[in-house]
Parts: sequence; C-alpha cells; structure tokens
Amino acid sequence: MNRRPSAKIAAYVGVAALALLAGLALGRPELVAVAAPLAVLVVAGLASARDPELAAEVAVDRERALVEDQVTVTLTLRTAARVERLEVLLVVPPGMEGPDGARRAWATAVSLAAGEQRVLPIELTCRRWGAYWLGDVHLRAHDRFRLFTWERHLDRHAPLKVFPVPDALRTLVTPVETLVSTGGHVAPQRGDGIEFADLRSFLPGDRPRSINWRATARRGDLMVNQRHPERATDVVLFLDSFLDVRGPGGSTLDRTVGAAASLAAAYLRQRDRVGLVSFGGFVQWLQPGGGQTALYRLLDTLMETQVFATAAWKGIRHLPPRTLPAKALIVALTPLVDERGVAALFDLLARGYDLAVVDISPLAQAGSGDGQWGELATRLWALERETLRHRYQRLGAAVVEWPDALHLQQVLLEVEACRRRAGLAPG
Amino acid sequence: MPAPRRAGARLACGLAATAVAAALALAPLAQVGGALRDLLTWVAGFGLVLAGAAALRVGSLLGPALVVLLAEHTVVLAGRGDRVDATAPLVGAGLLLYAELASWAREARPRVHDEPPVLVARMIVVAASALAALGIGVLVLLAANVPAGGGLARLAVGVAAAIGTLAVVVVVARPTSTRARRG
Repeated sequence: MNRRPSAKIAAYVGVAALALLAGLALGRPELVAVAAPLAVLVVAGLASARDPELAAEVAVDRERALVEDQVTVTLTLRTAARVERLEVLLVVPPGMEGPDGARRAWATAVSLAAGEQRVLPIELTCRRWGAYWLGDVHLRAHDRFRLFTWERHLDRHAPLKVFPVPDALRTLVTPVETLVSTGGHVAPQRGDGIEFADLRSFLPGDRPRSINWRATARRGDLMVNQRHPERATDVVLFLDSFLDVRGPGGSTLDRTVGAAASLAAAYLRQRDRVGLVSFGGFVQWLQPGGGQTALYRLLDTLMETQVFATAAWKGIRHLPPRTLPAKALIVALTPLVDERGVAALFDLLARGYDLAVVDISPLAQAGSGDGQWGELATRLWALERETLRHRYQRLGAAVVEWPDALHLQQVLLEVEACRRRAGLAPG
Repeated sequence: MPAPRRAGARLACGLAATAVAAALALAPLAQVGGALRDLLTWVAGFGLVLAGAAALRVGSLLGPALVVLLAEHTVVLAGRGDRVDATAPLVGAGLLLYAELASWAREARPRVHDEPPVLVARMIVVAASALAALGIGVLVLLAANVPAGGGLARLAVGVAAAIGTLAVVVVVARPTSTRARRG
C-alpha cells in the first residue's frame, strides 16, 4: 500500500518548530508549552503508525441480471494491524445505482481490529442494460491520529451483464416465406398442419382421417381437407446503432436493444432461428440459430452494442452470406437518422429481402426546438422522416414509426397490418 | 445515512473548529490596549478568516492559520514582562483542538458514510488529545520554573528540540510505498 503523510504533519511540525524558536529567542516558556503538545502528537503518531497490510477481495453474486435487478458486490477485508478508519469507495458504473441512490460512487468508513475479517455486502441496482465490470474499489486507511494514510486500488475484475427485461409479445411479424422445419408460422404451402387451407378430391395415399365426410356427402365423391403446415423461419434483427439520440426520457439505442431482446426471445419461443446484424461504428453479426443457446448468444452480443464513431463504412455486402439467408425475414430497428443506416436498408430492399422496418422515433428524445425557427425545424425533420418512410413503403417494405408512448406490441400489430395491406402477410 | 446528514456532520465539525479559533483569536485582545490592540484586531480577523477557510473549505490553509493565531499570542507574550502566563497550556490545547476539528471536517466527506464506532473513536481521540495537550502544557510550565542549569544548557536543549522537530519534518514529509520497499 502507498503511504502518504497528511498535510497536518507539516502544519504541526512547522508550527511547533516556529513556537520553539520564538520561545528560545524571546525566552518565553509559554511558547514551549504551546509547541510541546503538537510535537508530542506528531511523535506519538510516528511511533504508532503501522502499515495495515490490508488484504481485500471483491466478489459479485452473479454474472447475469435483468434491468432493475439487485446485484450484491461482496467486499471482504482483512487486516494485520488495527485500522482506525478505513474508507472504502466502490465505483458505481454509469447505468447502475448504489445504496442510497449513489450514482457514481458509494463509500463508507469502517474500523478494523488487528486480524479482523470484515465482509461488506453492497447492493447495486441495475438501471440500464449493458456489460459492466464491477469491483473497482479504492481503499484508504487512516492511523489513529490521522497523520498518515495508506491507499490501495483494487482493479476491476468481476464481469456482469445486465439484460433488458423482454416485453411479452403475443403477435409477431409474420414472414412471407418459411423454412421446411416445423415451427410456429402458418406456411402458405399445403401440407400437414392445423390451419384449414382447401378441399380436394381424394387421391390414393391420402390418410382416411383427412377425409371431410360432410363435403363428401354433399358432393357424392370422397373429399379431403388440405391444411397449411406450421413452419419455422429465419429472422434477422437488423440494428442501426450509428447514432444514439438521448433525452431525459431515454435513448433510441436503449429502445432498440430492448426491442431486439424482446423480439429475439419471442421468435425463439416459436422455434424460429434468429440472427443479428448490428450496424454501427463497428459491425457485429450472428448467424441465425435456435434454442436457448442462441438467445444467450444474442443477448451477449446485444450487450456489446454501442455507438462507436467512425468514418470507415463498408456496407452490407461485406457481411458473410449466411448471416442474411435468402428467405429470412429482416426486422430492422432504426431511428432513421444516419444516412449509412438508411442506405443499408435500401440496399436490403434492392436485394429482395423481406423487410419490416420499425422506425424508432427520436423526436421525443430530441425535443422540439426553441422558438418559431426551432419548431419549424422540428416539423421539417418530421416531414423528412415521413417522406423517407414512404420511399421504403413504395419499395415494398412495411415501415411503422414507433413513438415513445407506444408499446412495442402495438407497433408490431401496425407492421403486420401494413404488410397485410401490401399483400406480404396472410390476411 | 442520507448525504445531507453527512454534509451536516462536516459543517458541524467545521463550525466547532471555527468557534475554537475565534476564542483563540479574541482572547489576546483583552490583554492589550492602545495601538497594539488595533493591530492585533486586524491580525485576529485575518487569523479567523484563515482558520474558517481551513476548517470549511481549503485544508491546505491549516498551517498558515495556526501560524497567525500563534503569532498573535507571541506578540502578547513578548510584551508581558517576566510574569509567566498560566493560560499558555489552554492556548496549546486550543490550537490542537482547532487543528483536529478542522482536519476532521475535511475528513468527513459528504459521500462517505462513517460507521458509528469510527465516529466515537475519533471523538475520543480528539478529546483525549486536547486533554493530553493541556497536561503537557502544564508540565512544561512547571518544568520551566524548576532551576535546571544555566542559560547555556537551556539554550542547548531548545536548539536541539528545534532541530529535532525540523528533522522530523524532513523524514515524514515524503510518501513511501510498501510495494516499492519490497521490490
């Protein structure tokens, strides 16, 4: 530990020396009586000061949590010598909150007897999703007379991933095309399934249980039911993280990541394969996969999503082909602010992908401009965004604006209605 | 403990230190008169401002505040004649009490929550230091009245004490590191 003398030592010793010299020069024992206590305290402090030889360990009770969960950071302290006052300061990363609502750091001061082991459990509340490193602790020990301090810094080493709480989604965007594997979407093809499709005449090889006896009686010929099979699909979540518009009520990136987590969980529950393409300063992708493992991989990747300013941009053509399967439904979550993200969506449409765009409106976060010109600028911006959405719609994409007040489910229902009108989804 | 209460503890210590400093600054004024009193009033005011600033805001002013308060008492003592001032131990204890309270005020950071045992221990140490200072001052004054050798011996002891004090400053005024010593 690093030992530092306090400013008090210099003050005490300096004043004592001056008083002694003055007492000597003036021949006044009173000045010696004034100086002596200060000098004695310094000597006593020097004699009693010992390096506390402090040992400290940091542990976090879990590695994964949900937003608004409480995480306990346990700090174990051991000391060889008595510590009169030990300041413990835990750095609280942005997005987390310490006890008593501490935002940047939480600190306490304790005393430790020689050889004592003390365990300090510190409750942190996860306020925002993200990948965190916990355990950044500063320790400062004081001696009895507060003449010396010993300082130590514990490096951060406990990882914690905080996931957004997925919204319960009952209706999802239905894909145009499906895979051959069984899933939760009604495929347009005919086959074994539950959803009734049509009637046709009996053919050799048809199962007797498919015979529709009522239609057979009416037509005088054996008729069988045809059904739509339930199939899985590939869904690719396309995240535009070029820019984050932040306001008092939240940020577009937070809503993007929250929506992506909700959609991923909902599609995976339907046995679909879900992939991810995160377009921002750097590009991240995950090939479509299914099951719980894929969900954790997706969430882990989502946690690393952040705005990273860069001018180097290569476009979607540099993505591995398997990342964007030909029949995949692409659900884009974008604030439609950065031109590179806007252009990437046009690129996807030009390649014939089944694209649904959720336009995460940044208007609420940006706020309306001050004065007449500010209001005019806000209206012009809103008009520009509307024009852009129309351009996407003309090219065959379903685009719906997601204002701050709406629930994601309502937006998805609007997307579905939009696709139905365009003939992209079964009516 | 909520932050305002912790800030209150800091303010209480700072105000207590300032009150002690005020007593120390105003006490010498009663013992002098005339032009010297006017001069000392200015010195006392300056010392009080320094002491208040050191206790409440700028910790590095602790040394200068102590020096000014000491200078005020030195001026009074210089014009006192042969009579020994019996209140000197009180001044010594007061200076120490002021310095301890001021440093406690600086130590009580609003963000840091001190556990009750830490506060109690600190209170005991401060009170014991002040009492010990009083006792040491009385002992020194008593020792000064004991006939012990001529003026030369007393001068030698005084010079040795002053040099020893300065040597302590040199030794302790450098930070050390456990890690560096081991390496």
